Order: sequence, then structure tokens, then C-alpha cells
Amino acid sequence: MSDWTPSDLAHWDSKIIRVAEDLGLDWYPIDYEIIDYQEMLSAMAYTGLPTHYRHWSYGKEYERTHTLYNMGQTGLPYEMIINSNPSIAYLMRENSLYTHVLTMAHCVGHSDFFKNNRMFADTNPNNIISSFKSAAKYVKKLIEDPSIGIGKVEKILDAAHSIKYQVPRYPGIKYKSRQEKLQVEKELIESVPDYVPDLEKIPLEPEYNVLQFIVNHSKHLKEWEKNLILIVEESSQYFIPQALTKIMNEGWACTIHYKIINELNLPDNLHLPFIKLHNQVVRPHLGQLNPYHLGYKLFEKIIEDRGFEEAKILREIHNDITFLRCYLTEEFMQEMNYFSYSFKKSKKSITIDDISDDEGWEKVRDELIKNVGLNRIPTVYVDEIDKNNVLSLVHEHDGRDLDLNYAQKVYEYIKVLWGDNIKLVSTVEDEEWEF
Amino acid sequence: MSVFRKHKSIVDRAASDRNRHKKKIERAIKESIKDVIAEESIIGQNGKKKIRIPIRGIKEYRFIFGNHEKNKSVGSAGDHSIKRGQKIGSKRAKVASGQGTGHGSNEKGDEYYDVEVTLEELAEYLFNDLELPDLEKKQFRFVSQEAIKRKGYRFKGIRPRLSKKETMKRKIRRRKIAEKIGTYDPDSDERFPFHRDDLKYHHIKPKIKENSSAVIFFLMDVSGSMSQDRKYLARSFFFLLYQFLNHKYERVEVVFISHSTKAQRVDEDDFFKVATHGGTIISSCLNLELEIIEKEFHPNSWNIYTFYCGDGENWTSDNEKSIDLFKKIKDLNQLTGYCEINESYKGLTDDADDNDFGLSSWATFSAWKNEEMENLWAKLSPLCDNKFKKVMVGDTDHIWTAFGSLFGGKQ
Repeated sequence: MSDWTPSDLAHWDSKIIRVAEDLGLDWYPIDYEIIDYQEMLSAMAYTGLPTHYRHWSYGKEYERTHTLYNMGQTGLPYEMIINSNPSIAYLMRENSLYTHVLTMAHCVGHSDFFKNNRMFADTNPNNIISSFKSAAKYVKKLIEDPSIGIGKVEKILDAAHSIKYQVPRYPGIKYKSRQEKLQVEKELIESVPDYVPDLEKIPLEPEYNVLQFIVNHSKHLKEWEKNLILIVEESSQYFIPQALTKIMNEGWACTIHYKIINELNLPDNLHLPFIKLHNQVVRPHLGQLNPYHLGYKLFEKIIEDRGFEEAKILREIHNDITFLRCYLTEEFMQEMNYFSYSFKKSKKSITIDDISDDEGWEKVRDELIKNVGLNRIPTVYVDEIDKNNVLSLVHEHDGRDLDLNYAQKVYEYIKVLWGDNIKLVSTVEDEEWEF
Repeated sequence: MSVFRKHKSIVDRAASDRNRHKKKIERAIKESIKDVIAEESIIGQNGKKKIRIPIRGIKEYRFIFGNHEKNKSVGSAGDHSIKRGQKIGSKRAKVASGQGTGHGSNEKGDEYYDVEVTLEELAEYLFNDLELPDLEKKQFRFVSQEAIKRKGYRFKGIRPRLSKKETMKRKIRRRKIAEKIGTYDPDSDERFPFHRDDLKYHHIKPKIKENSSAVIFFLMDVSGSMSQDRKYLARSFFFLLYQFLNHKYERVEVVFISHSTKAQRVDEDDFFKVATHGGTIISSCLNLELEIIEKEFHPNSWNIYTFYCGDGENWTSDNEKSIDLFKKIKDLNQLTGYCEINESYKGLTDDADDNDFGLSSWATFSAWKNEEMENLWAKLSPLCDNKFKKVMVGDTDHIWTAFGSLFGGKQ
């Protein structure tokens, strides 16, 4: 049924590499693995990693995708690539040759992005596979340990997963130790009159890495529980850069595959279906934000205005938020016809709030940026531990209220991890709310 | 040059996590089931009927923003012309529902996610973790009948089992051979007689035939002290019992007997609806059951189950008689269950996970009960073994554990 042989893939691969080198791209070598659709479902459930610790939520994810796929509501991705050196990418056996050619060119774009974008500087691509592997082994060991077992492991993982995105959002920043912070405070006390900080406070400044803070300061966690929480924290840290650059990363990969394929002089029987597939991938989704579409269009515009070399610089220094702030222009917003909408309780319906005209485009842009990547996840930080060992957490309110039912559950989970009482402060309908 | 290789296949690596997730769903179903079963009609349901069960707790909770005006979304309108205030939808949040084994999405906003299951699937979920393999040996000695079955042919046998057809076939075969080798001429008038070697006999073997029909007697006290709440509990309990036995047997008949001072056979509707009044004489319904068994359900061809639900009160003068009748019924039955509904009963263990209450704790409980009051509960203790069990139910939460101790209790 497939119209290709492995030697076809190798043939096109060497051509793709030649073109990509001419473009001045710099990427990790790529290992392509040929998999069937079931393996693809598994790969998707475990965020692509060939080794990942087990947890029921991944089984749930598998079932979900499987059901959606069977009901025809979703296709499987053409491409899946892991930020590692060498990069591991999956090609689905069932796909036809032109899809593979597009996928391989697309993967070169991703791998180039992983290697060059500064958000990824600390993701440790050389060792990430083995570090996930040893984490998986460790979790397996705990599950098989008769004195621990799957119940206790799940209890910690369930709780840790509930705050897995409560980690620092800006990679590449070096976080100071308490000692270093104290030093800074001391210098401030000397130089600034009337400056009286509370040097006993733990933490000295708001701490955004909630998981790590709990591990460092909990009085009740056992050693294996701490290790388990740190495994979750590390895996989150690894994925943060990808969440921060979804639009750029996909936009860049689409730009690259389009450029490469056009240089390849594909025969018509491959080129026409390729054009069709490409347009399908980068088409706008009505009422939604398709990151492939937005990213591709932005890069297209940038290359048109400033050239490809400039685009290469941008792919190194930006993340989605800064990228959109700089390059979402009024003209572009209007062309894309973006609008903002929300559910109105009073009308019991969803209505349009703003559209991208002269007055509205900036508001729509700001809302758009609020809906990008990690901005969709509320920020919660550790404020302090009080005398009775009550952990005090604060939700950084940005105009959007928390979903209280969910927050209540997460509150319970954090309590499980902390072991003593906790306090969570937020704002609901303009009034202070304490859980 | 990139590397191309076959994926090192780990045989379906998501299997164990999927299994774990499935277990969680089943557990959630079980937890919500007590609300469902009280609503369902006990019999006359075909197993394909679908019921919706709302499930809690398989969601992965995170901090998320609520669905309100300040939390706006942004989308592209393509070529459509749009204006402010335009209505584009009315659903507050997508409510996802799953089918069968229960898949659902975790779209924010849906507090529950509904799983649609058929009664058959429900029964599967319910009964799968009752350690059935063990239990089948103990509880499901099907009533058996010895039947005789033909099984092939033999050269030896008694005359009445002679198979004329097979014997004839052998004779014809022999004649044809004789014609071929020329020892017999078909055109001659000579007779070609049967030979002793032609004779073949039916072979028969006795076979134990399991009888797979069952009759369940649901007996319930409808005296004045049985409130609507108590009947509600009884109904839930009976529902489970019915589903369970229906699951085990090909054919299940149900007899409803309600009693106060007198017993009468009623249909399902009346059984639960009839207004309650009067005093309590348990022996009345036990007598009626014995009569019905004698007339309609011979123990040799029916697996008989009896479940009694009451509030434990009985006229003292009737106690001795009732116990004697319970003994009789026990001997005829596969299993007899006595269920007392008692709101003051708070359960023996808070941990629903811990099924290990076993018999010892029930015994402890009945000892406590003993001091409190003299009623049938304590007096029935000598009858208890694996064919006679008593359970106590205080609220819907106990139904499942009570059920477990009837059928799945570790012994």
C-alpha cells in the first residue's frame, strides 16, 4: 500500500540536507523512526519521548486520541520530533512518499529551531533521552517496591502533576540562591537608607518554582517522594521552551519545509499533493488560532520585508510572546481578521468583543498574546511559610479569575504534597478570595 | 545523512497506563452507581438499555482560568465579515460525553463527564472485581440433572440399542465388495444375509446437565415501620442482586412477595409502591415462598435464591417459627440472604477500599447488636454459613459492601 521504499527516503533526505545546508541552517542530526499508527498514538500520549515514566494520565491521553481518531475528528500528526541530539523523529508507515518528504523537511526546520533558539539553551539535548529513561526506571522501581507500590506513587504524581506548570517560565535566567539574594539585600541595606527588608522570610522573594520549593522545605516528604516530585519538575522544565515557542517553532518549520521543497524540483506527482498538504497545514481555523498558520504567515511577512538572514536572527532571540508583540501589526491583524470573544453570562451566549479594526486591533492583539502558550496557565507563586508551617501561595491575578472548582482540587493536591496546612490567595470578581 | 530505522517496538507500551485509567473509570462508575441503581427498574429491562452515569474524579486538575467575560479567546474569522457584539455561539462549554468504556475530554467547564453504559456493561463493571473465580466454585453449584446422551457407535451392545442404519450401511458395503471380487452375483436370486460383524450399536454416555435457570425470591417487609427510605434501600439492593444473578444464569425468574402480617405475591410495581401498614410476621412470607416453590419451582430443576429485606422487627412470638422456616428455605436454596435495613448502622469500615471486613467483624457487630435488642438478627446467627448470610445496610454506601459480603466475602 505504501508507495515508497527506505531507499526513496534516503534519496530525498540527502537532497533535503543539501538544500538546508545551502540555506545556512544548523540542526542536530536526525534519526527517523518508522512507526505504525498505534505506535504513533503511544508516542503522542507520552509527548513523543521514547522513554517516559508511566502514569495513568498517559493512558487516558492515548484513549482520547484513539477515540477522536476513530471517530474521524482528528488526524494523526504527520510529524513528531523530539528536542534531543540527535533529534528523534517519527514517520508513520501508512503515509505516502510526498508526506514523508514534507515531514523530513519540516523536521529539519524544527531541529534547527531547537538548536538555535535561545529558550532551548538549557534543555540539555545530549542527555535528555537517557535522563528520561532513568526517571522512568526509577518510577518503575518505586511501583514494584512492595513497601511503596502504584497507589502511593500515583498519589504523589497526581498531586505533582496538578502544579507541574507552576515552574519558572523564562528559561535561560539564572536563579540566585538564598545566600546570593541575602548578599544583594545586604548591599541594598547599605546603599539605600530606610530600606528594611525582612531577612528571615522564606522565601525572600516570590518563588515561582512551587514544586522545587516544596521539595526543599517540606517537613514530611520522604526521600523517594522528593525524587518523584523532582522528576515531574525536571520534565516540566524541559517542555517549557516548547510551550513558549509553539507559534514560532511551527511557523519556522513550515517556512523551512516550504523553502526546501521548492528547491527540490519535485516531479509533479509529488509536488501537487505537497502543495495541497502544505496549504492544509497552514490554513486558518475559523474561530481559532492555528499556530502553524499564524507562525508561517508572520515569518513569510518578515522574510518579504527584511530577508531570510534577518528571519534567522529572529528565530534565535525571540519567544512567542516577544515575537508577537514586535511583529503583530495592525495591517497583519486585519489581514488575518482576528477577533476576540467571550461567554456572556447575562446573555447566555458567546459574543464577539473586539475586531481588528482601527480601534480594536490592539485590544485583540493583547488578548491574543494572553492566549499564547504559558499565558493560558495561571501563575501561582509561593509567598511565604509562616510560623505554623502554613505554606502561603498567591495567584498572580491578571484580570482573569481562576476556575474555582479546579483551583479547589489543586489546593487539596498541594496540601497532599506539603503535608501541613496551606493558604491560597486569589482575586475573584474583584474581591480577595482565600481557599 | 540521516539515520532511518525501524522503531524498536515495545509491545504496546501504553497498555499498562491505559489499564490503570480504565480501572479508575470503573471505580468512578462504581462509586456513582448507587445513585443510579435506585432509579432503575429491576426487571423487564433488556440488557442493551443504556443508562447515563455521571462520573467524577478522573480529571486532571490544574490551575485554569474560569469561563467568564474577562477570559477572552481569540480566533481568526477568515473571509467572514464580523462586528462587535455579534452572537457566535451559545454553549457555555463543550460537554463531552463518552461511549461504552468511557472516554471523555477534559474540556474545562464540565464538572462531570457522562459515561453511557448498557445494563450488561454495568453488570460487568459491578461484578468483575468480586473475585468471581473463587465464588463460582462455592456459590454456583448449578443444580444438575443426569441425562443420557448418544455418543457414537460400538460393535457391542444390547439389542435395544441396535442402530439399524449403521448396520445396514455395513451390510451394503460388504455386499459391494463381494460383487467386486466376484464372490456374489447381484443378478442371481441368492440372498445376501446380515452377518454378525455388521451389527452396530448406539453407544450412550451419562451426562451431567447443568441447569441454568434460576428463580429469585425477593421478600420484603412492608409493615408500618418500613419507610419509603428503607424501601428505597431495599430496592437498590434487589436491583444489584437481580443484575448479578441475571448475569450468571441464562434464565431468571423473579417472584416478589411482600408481607406485613400476611404475605402476598405481587408484581414489581406494587412491590415497591404499595403503601405500608400493619404489623410484622415474617413467617407468613416464608410460608408463601415454600408453597410457591412446591408448586412451581422444583429445586431439582431450579436454582433458588431468596433475599429478605426488612427492618429487623418481628413479632416475638413469630421468631421461632421464622427461624425454622428460614432453615427449610436454606436447604432448598443455593443462597439465602437476610438483609436488615437499619439507619443506625454506620458501617464497619470507612475505607471503601478495604473489603477485608470478612466474617469476624460481622460477628463482632452482631454481638454488639445482641446486647442492644433481641431481634431476629442475633437469632439467625446459628444458621449462618456459606448458604445463609445476613447483612446490614444503613445507607446507600453500604449496599455495595453488603453485596460483597453476600457473594464475594473472603472466607
